[in-house]
Amino acid sequence: MFDHENQVKMTGKVVEFHWQNPHVYIHLEAAGKDGKVREWTIECANPGILNRIGWKFNMIKEGETITVIVAPLRTGEPGALLKQVTLADGRKFGNGAPAGPPNIE
Amino acid sequence: MRQTIRVALLLTCSLAPTAWSQEFDRRDFSGTWDRYPQSLDSRRDPSVVPAPVDIPTPPLKPQFVAAYEADRKRRADADKRGEPIATGYTHCLPDGMPSMMMAMFPMEVLQTKRQVTIIQEAYNQVRRIYLNDTTPAIEDAEPGFWGHSAGHWEGDTFVVDTVGIKEAVQVRGTPHSANMRIHEEMRMLTVDHFQNEVTVTDPDYLTGPWKWKWVYQRRPNYKMYEYVCEDNREYADPESGAARLRVVK
Repeated sequence: MFDHENQVKMTGKVVEFHWQNPHVYIHLEAAGKDGKVREWTIECANPGILNRIGWKFNMIKEGETITVIVAPLRTGEPGALLKQVTLADGRKFGNGAPAGPPNIE
Repeated sequence: MRQTIRVALLLTCSLAPTAWSQEFDRRDFSGTWDRYPQSLDSRRDPSVVPAPVDIPTPPLKPQFVAAYEADRKRRADADKRGEPIATGYTHCLPDGMPSMMMAMFPMEVLQTKRQVTIIQEAYNQVRRIYLNDTTPAIEDAEPGFWGHSAGHWEGDTFVVDTVGIKEAVQVRGTPHSANMRIHEEMRMLTVDHFQNEVTVTDPDYLTGPWKWKWVYQRRPNYKMYEYVCEDNREYADPESGAARLRVVK
């Protein structure tokens, strides 16, 4: 479903942040590789996994600017699996062992 | 002199019995547990307790092997293409038994006089093992995800038998009948590890017992999270069966 080989780095504005099972989602208004700004649906692990690696349910807020490294959907739709997020304050978080680390910086 | 040594020994024992002798209650599994080893977690030391071996191929009767292998190949090929086939999780379904006991997420064991309750964080799964009870006859065992479990102690081994698992609740796509029985033998390996030796039998589908071991490591002071499969954006493609992600258009 996700293209783990061709990861993408994007910076954009958080439109929505959903802290829920079975996956946490970030909606991010950002430009992908084609330069077109779209609303991306970015899938994260679940609250349990993320809590155990230091995330907090309210650490991402609507309107904030964040940078993500993601594995995009193979279909070309604006959806992706998170590999790493850099918050507005500079803190970096991974997405847990199942998602794996990013392969770009 | 002999009396002095005896007093000193008694004092040592009473002050720190666990540290001194590593004695612990081998009939107490209560607490929170992770599956072991956690390969990406540096706090875990696989040298303490040997890692369990992977679940072997089920000893299916010859007439069921081709369909099983074809399904495995279909899934492996889809994974290779990067288009994994949807699973029960895609439909918000829990593991059920026995897969629940792989402890995908932390697992909590509660022991009371009449039952042992095991809670798996993923999908809020709960199984109740009634002590000194018997499993119902197959024709009376209403099928479910966790079935009907009866447990008893044989020395320091907690022996549990389970029947009544829905046929759609499978381990890695392995078919089974209403006659499937899950036999578990749980025992403490150290104060912080316990092992579950699982034996699955099914006279309709298997030629003999299908066995493996799971090991768990204590996760002290952990508070379990809730898990409601509330808003799953993943779905199964109706044509290919591949997992898809619903995105904002």
